[in-house]
Amino acid sequence: MSVPKLEFPPFHLPPEAEALRGEVRAFLEKTLPGVASEDRFPSWNTRSPEFSKALGARGWIGITWPRQYGGAERSFLERYVVTEELLGNGAPAGAHWVADRQSGPLLLRFGSEEQRQAILPRIVKGECYFSIGMSEPDSGSDLASVRTRAEPVPGGFRVNGTKVWTSGAHKNHYCITLVRTSGQHGDRHKGLSQLLVDLKTPGITIRPIINLAGRHDWNEVTFNDAFIPESCLIGNEGDGWLQVTSELAFERSGPERFMQNFYVLRELVRVLGRQPARRASSVLGRLIARLWTLRQMSVAVAGMMQGGKSPAIEAALVKDLGTIYQQDLPEVARAIAESDATTEEDLADFLDVAQYATMMAPSYTIQGGTTQVLRGIVARGLGLR
Amino acid sequence: MDRETRDMLLETADRFFTEKCGREVVNGVEKGVWPADLWKEIEEMGLPLIAVPEDRGGVGGTLVDMLSLMRLAGSHAVPVPLAETALGNLMLAAAGGEPKAGPLTLALGNLSLNGGRVTGKVERVPFASVADRFVTVSGGTLAVIAAGNARIDDAPSHAGEPYGTVTFDGAPTEFSGASPVDAARAYELAALTRAMQMAGAADRVLATAVEYSKQRAQFGRPISTFQAIQHMLAELASCVAATIASAEAAARDADEGGLEAGGSFSIAAAKTQASEFAQRIAAISHQSMGAMGFTHEHVLHHYTRRLWVWRRDFGSETHWGEKIGAAYAKAGPQALWKGLSGSRYAA
Repeated sequence: MSVPKLEFPPFHLPPEAEALRGEVRAFLEKTLPGVASEDRFPSWNTRSPEFSKALGARGWIGITWPRQYGGAERSFLERYVVTEELLGNGAPAGAHWVADRQSGPLLLRFGSEEQRQAILPRIVKGECYFSIGMSEPDSGSDLASVRTRAEPVPGGFRVNGTKVWTSGAHKNHYCITLVRTSGQHGDRHKGLSQLLVDLKTPGITIRPIINLAGRHDWNEVTFNDAFIPESCLIGNEGDGWLQVTSELAFERSGPERFMQNFYVLRELVRVLGRQPARRASSVLGRLIARLWTLRQMSVAVAGMMQGGKSPAIEAALVKDLGTIYQQDLPEVARAIAESDATTEEDLADFLDVAQYATMMAPSYTIQGGTTQVLRGIVARGLGLR
Repeated sequence: MDRETRDMLLETADRFFTEKCGREVVNGVEKGVWPADLWKEIEEMGLPLIAVPEDRGGVGGTLVDMLSLMRLAGSHAVPVPLAETALGNLMLAAAGGEPKAGPLTLALGNLSLNGGRVTGKVERVPFASVADRFVTVSGGTLAVIAAGNARIDDAPSHAGEPYGTVTFDGAPTEFSGASPVDAARAYELAALTRAMQMAGAADRVLATAVEYSKQRAQFGRPISTFQAIQHMLAELASCVAATIASAEAAARDADEGGLEAGGSFSIAAAKTQASEFAQRIAAISHQSMGAMGFTHEHVLHHYTRRLWVWRRDFGSETHWGEKIGAAYAKAGPQALWKGLSGSRYAA
């Protein structure tokens, strides 16, 4: 039959990565007790510049980047281990996260030498934070429909338009912004470019968007005749679409796609006590088994990438399953805790944690591609379109 | 065996199963026809002895070679006790026994073994009525019992295979010996074998549903062009991928860790996953193929019904989930991530 085989060859993280895991753990054991437990729950949404700087001082931000920009030139698999240890232990990694995963690699690949030298060493030190300026009102999954215009003017661009869902824009330094530099709204993939925008630029207004959980993570960022110097163009004018899709590849793979609410599972173990009843044990075990499976798949994808392959379908499958897992987890956990928690007090605390996770869960399908977009990628991989 | 040899063997076996193990053979077993020729040829190829050392007349493969073959067998719904015989022979050889010709099966349950005699009852023994011998492990002893010394009450599986309840009433053993594989481990290895068969069957279900969607036209175009069908099959693919990935990871861990105890946690997790996903895989595939897959005329049910049977064999997701959950609860929240990242029961 002509259907492609879905193989996830079992892969071992190499010894140097496992050795690094031990170092990261020792670091976190010393560092994390100083972080309030409510901040340790939502790991990736919790910002701590002090923590980011301490992590940077150990050389664990921009860990794969060239030494000339302050990187450690270590492997992608070593980076993988750092990421999963941060998540597994609830480290407040939100401040530097986008810069490390996405913006830095984008600048490395497409940025000018001047941009790299100005920015990358600051990211590596854990001192420079980024927002993602892709989404716009009404653009949703149809990223090519962006309307924000950057009109060429002497020495740079005059930018007008609105970006939404820009995480942390009220606290970050830069926003890599997708804009239309030429052509019309209907031109789709043509005429798009990316700009490295300093969020303090005059003409930029940042307004909070409060999410379901009552948190202010997101913002609406409005450009009103904001002048952006020519030196802030990333890559070539008109290459924005190519660049932005390569950026999405960084966004789609990795442990953060199934471990963002790992704290729910950890707290569930706590609330069930040391000897839960059979049914509770079984439900807990099934949740653990699923997470183990996701990790095996994700590590296998990392192994394929290390081996020079581009497992786009496999990565999409991991994210799809990871999203479903993260959305199910707080609901399944809530039910089992209500019937099997050891004390009323622990239960009350746990239900608050689970409710918070439930309110965050709708975002998991949106970030890095909706479930439906991912299923479209898989369908293409299966030869259906 | 090295990778190349295994790939060659699997390729040969794949061609053989494609040719000799078609729909009539599988349907025949369901009607009670033992495919004697098929079994004979499987023996001639040495497949039931794949993991038996060469100096005992085997093929000289390892556990993972055997498991890879079982994944392939699962993808063909091979309706003979190849998995049971191959695993039985592997464990028998490890206990110092001489593998014999003929189909074996595994009677793994609460049996007592005293003075060379076996007593007890095991339900849902696969291929009970067609096996020549039963392999059982009690404590640290592995024993082989001839079929004639057991009482067998037929209770065909929901896939139509000759399962049954087996009762031993002081049955004499044909062989007994100290085994490096204890009773719990034998059960684990059987669970792993089923997980690999399930991975194979799941893979075939996906391929069948995808192919069908490209050929079946409705409203003037192939149903594969409908977004609703595409998304359904993509979800099916994710369930299949997880089943394959977890089974393969467990097979690797078991092989690397050694026959006695390797990959205990991974096996429990993989069987939990395979058993849990079986229902989604069956449900989506039947839904995507409509009434075609639901009837006996189509082969889809060869695979979906086996997935439903195999999810229960040697421990369901509830059984294995409970073991995992109990161990992690006992170890406490701080051990959770350490255990998971190390693929261990607890840190």
